[in-house]
Amino acid sequence: MIEITCNDRLGKKVRVKCNPEDTIGDLKKLIAAQTGTKWEKIILKKWYTIFKDHIRLGDYEIHDGMNIELYYQ
Amino acid sequence: MGSSKHKKKDKKKRHHSSDSSDGDLSSKHRKRRHPSSDLSDVDVSNKHKKHKKHHKKKEKPKDKHAKYHSSDDDVIFVPPPPKISRNEVRTPPPPSLTPPPPPSISSSSDSLSIDETNKIRAKLGLKPLQMDNKETTKSRDDGLEVIAGDEGEFVHKPAVSITEKNKSDKIKARIAEKKEKRMIENKILNVKKLADSDSEEDAVSWVKKTKNIQEEMEKAKKKAQELEEMDNVFGVGDLIEESTKSEMKNFYSSKHLKGLEVQHSMDEFVEGKEVILTLQDKDVLAEDADVLVNVNMVDNELYKQNIDRRKQRLNYSGYDELEDMDIDKPSIVLGKYDEEIEGLKKKSFKLGVDEYKIKRDTIKEKLKKNMNQETLNTTQLKLASDYYNDTEMSVKFKKVKKKKLRVNPLKADKLERSLRLANNNAKENDDLDDIDDILHDNPTDIYSMKMENEDDDMGLQLALKKARKLKQLEKIERKCDLADTLVKTEYNDNALGAIVLNSTAEFCRTLGDIPTYGKAGNREEEEDESLMDYDKNNVKQEHAVNSDESNDGWREVEMEKKLIDLKTIDSKPILEPEPDLGKGVAGALRLAMSKGYIEKEENARPSASRFAHLQAKNYSIEDKTFLAEDDKLSRRDRYSGPTVEFREKDSYKPNIKLDYIDDDGHLLSEKEAFRYLSHKFHGKGPGKNKIEKRIKKAEQEALMKQMSSTDTPLGTLNMLQSKQKQTQSPYIVLSGTKSTHQNHGGSISKTKIG
Repeated sequence: MIEITCNDRLGKKVRVKCNPEDTIGDLKKLIAAQTGTKWEKIILKKWYTIFKDHIRLGDYEIHDGMNIELYYQ
Repeated sequence: MGSSKHKKKDKKKRHHSSDSSDGDLSSKHRKRRHPSSDLSDVDVSNKHKKHKKHHKKKEKPKDKHAKYHSSDDDVIFVPPPPKISRNEVRTPPPPSLTPPPPPSISSSSDSLSIDETNKIRAKLGLKPLQMDNKETTKSRDDGLEVIAGDEGEFVHKPAVSITEKNKSDKIKARIAEKKEKRMIENKILNVKKLADSDSEEDAVSWVKKTKNIQEEMEKAKKKAQELEEMDNVFGVGDLIEESTKSEMKNFYSSKHLKGLEVQHSMDEFVEGKEVILTLQDKDVLAEDADVLVNVNMVDNELYKQNIDRRKQRLNYSGYDELEDMDIDKPSIVLGKYDEEIEGLKKKSFKLGVDEYKIKRDTIKEKLKKNMNQETLNTTQLKLASDYYNDTEMSVKFKKVKKKKLRVNPLKADKLERSLRLANNNAKENDDLDDIDDILHDNPTDIYSMKMENEDDDMGLQLALKKARKLKQLEKIERKCDLADTLVKTEYNDNALGAIVLNSTAEFCRTLGDIPTYGKAGNREEEEDESLMDYDKNNVKQEHAVNSDESNDGWREVEMEKKLIDLKTIDSKPILEPEPDLGKGVAGALRLAMSKGYIEKEENARPSASRFAHLQAKNYSIEDKTFLAEDDKLSRRDRYSGPTVEFREKDSYKPNIKLDYIDDDGHLLSEKEAFRYLSHKFHGKGPGKNKIEKRIKKAEQEALMKQMSSTDTPLGTLNMLQSKQKQTQSPYIVLSGTKSTHQNHGGSISKTKIG
C-alpha cells in the first residue's frame, strides 16, 4: 500500500491510499470518491507527463508519499 | 466550472479544518453538518449504519491486524459523495446558522483511512489495499488468495492472463519434449549393441562352450567313420561314389556353355571381375542361336556409339590403315557407310574358343608365305665411277631422223597467172560463182604458200605484198560492180519470170511503195536518188511487163493502184463543175459559196483566234491544283503515260462568253461579279452604307442612261431653239443689266421662261 498526495493547488489536496498495482484509472476513481469530482474529468500530471489511465502506478514509478498534480478537463 | 464549485466547497472545509485537530472527525460536527445538507445525506447515513454493523461483527479480527486504523473505529465516516456538492450549491446553508467551523479534517490534505479506502475500492471493484505484512490474504489449496476484507473473506480470482498462459504453455511443451527425448534415449540405451553378447558370459563359460563344440564334432566324426566302415562292409560306398560322379557330370559348368556366343568384345571383360550375362531377347520364331548379353554393357555400347556419331569423325584418313594394321581386313575407303549398308557389326566371341590363338595362327601362316618375297637386305652398294664401263658404252642411241619438209618453190609465172585469171574474171562478169571462188581461193593459196616458204628471200615477199594490196583494192571496186551486175541480172531474171528476193530489191520495192509517190515533189526526189541506175523507162517497161505477164500477184496490185492514182490526178479538172441551180436552195447556196458570195460558215463564226489579242499574255488561267500536281510528279501521267496532243481538235477554239447576273437581274461587270462571288463565298455581305452607295450609283447610272444626249436636263436647248424660231433670228440676246442696253430685240428674261 502506498499513499499519494494529489494537489490541484486551488485548494484541493487529497491523500489517497492505493496499491502500486492499481492503474491510474483506479487512482482517479479513488480521488474522485474523495474529492467528489467525476473521475473522467481528472487529469494526473507530474511535470509535463500526463499519466494514462491504463498504466499501473508501479510502472510510472509512483511511490509512497509522492505528490501528483491534479488537473481537470 | 467544476473547479469553481469546488472552491466554494473547499473554502467551507477550510473553515472547518482550521479549528479542528488533525485526523479525528468529530461525530458532532458530522451530525451537525448532515442536517444542513439534503436528502442524499440520508443515504450516506444509512450506509454508515450498515458499515457500523459490519464493524461490530468484525471488530475482533480487525483489531488484531489493523494497526493503521485510527483509534476510534466507530466514528469513521465516508466523505460526502460527489452529488452533495451540487446540492450544496443549490441550497447553501445560511451563514448565520452555521457555527464556527469545528476542527475536523487534516490540515493539509483530505485523506481516508485504509478501511474507508477499502470500502471504496470494493465499490469500485478493485482489489483491497495490500498490507505490507499481508496477513489478510491466505493462499488456498488451489493457489487462489483468500482475502479477508471487512465484508468477510472472499477469494480473488484474477483474470486469466493470456501472456502468462502462453508462457506456461510454452514451458509445458518444452518439458514434454524433453521428457519424450529422455524416453527415446533410454530406449536406445537399452538396445543391445553388436559387441554385447546375448548372454552375459565371461571367458570361462566361453571356453566351456567351445570345448563342448569340439567334443561334439569329434563325436560326429567318429560316428561318420563308423558308418563308413559299415558301408564298406556292405559295399554301399562304391554306389554312392558313382552316383556322386554322375551328379558332378550333370553339374552345370563352363563346358556346357562352350560355343555360346557372347555379344561383347573380349576387351570389355576384366579379369577377376564377375559379369552376369543373360540371354538376349529374340523373337519366338527366330531360329538364331542364343546370344549372351550383359545389360549394362549393351547400354554402354549404345552410349559410345552415340558419342561417336556426334563426333562426326573424318570420313577417311590414310592413317586409319596404319593404325589398324589388321591384315585380314581389306582397306575400306568409305568405311563410314558400312554400318548403314550392312547393319551394325557387333563384336562377339564364343565361349571356350580361343580366338586369339586362331588369329595368331593365321598371321603366322601369312608371314610364312611372305617370307620369300620380302627381304630386309637391299642391293649391295657400289662405288660410282666417272667413266662408262664397256657394257654401258655398248648401248647406242637411236638417231632421230630429220623429217624432210616438202617445199613447193613459188613460181612467178604461176602466181601471175592466178592474178590475171582473177582480174579477167572480174572484168568478164560471166560467172559470179567463179569470181567468188577466185576471191576466196587466192588469198588462201598465197598464205599457204607463204607459210611453206619461210626461208625464201625477201624480194619475193615484197612482190607478194604488192600483189595482195592490189587485189584488195580491186576487191572493193569489184564489190560495187558486183552489186550493179546483180541488180541487172535480177531484172533480167525477172523478165524471164523467176523471182529473186534480195535485200536491195526489197529496199527498192519499199521505195516504190511511198504513198505520196507521184505527187508533186516526190517524183523529183526519186529521180535524184539514182543509186541503182534506175531508169524511168526501165520502170515503165517493168510495169508493162508485169501487166502483161502478171506472174507476181502482190507486186502487180500495188503497181496498178499507183497507175490508177496517177490517172485520177491527171484527169481532175482545174475548176469544179458548177453546181446545179435547179436542185433547190441547197444548190443555190452551194453556188453562192463557191462564187464567194457567201462566206463559209466556219469563217463566219467568231473564232477564238479573232480575240487572240484579248487573251492574257503572261499567264493563262488554269486549274491551280493541276499545276501543283504537275510540279510535283504529274500524277495524271502515272496511269495515262505520255500525253499525246489531241490532233483532231487542233483548230477548235471555242468562243465563250461568261455573263454574271445578280439577284436583281442586273448584268454585272467583271469587278462586280467578283465582288458578288466573294460575298457569296465568304457568306458576308457588304455594309449598309456600301449598299446605299451602290444603289445610288446604280440609280445615277440609270438616270444617265435615260438622259437625252442632246439636251440638258432642264431642256434649255429646246427652249433656245423655240425662242430662235419665235424671233426668227439665229441668235438670242441674253438679258442682263449691262447687256440690255446694247442688245434689245432678242433678249430673254428668266422670269419669262420660269
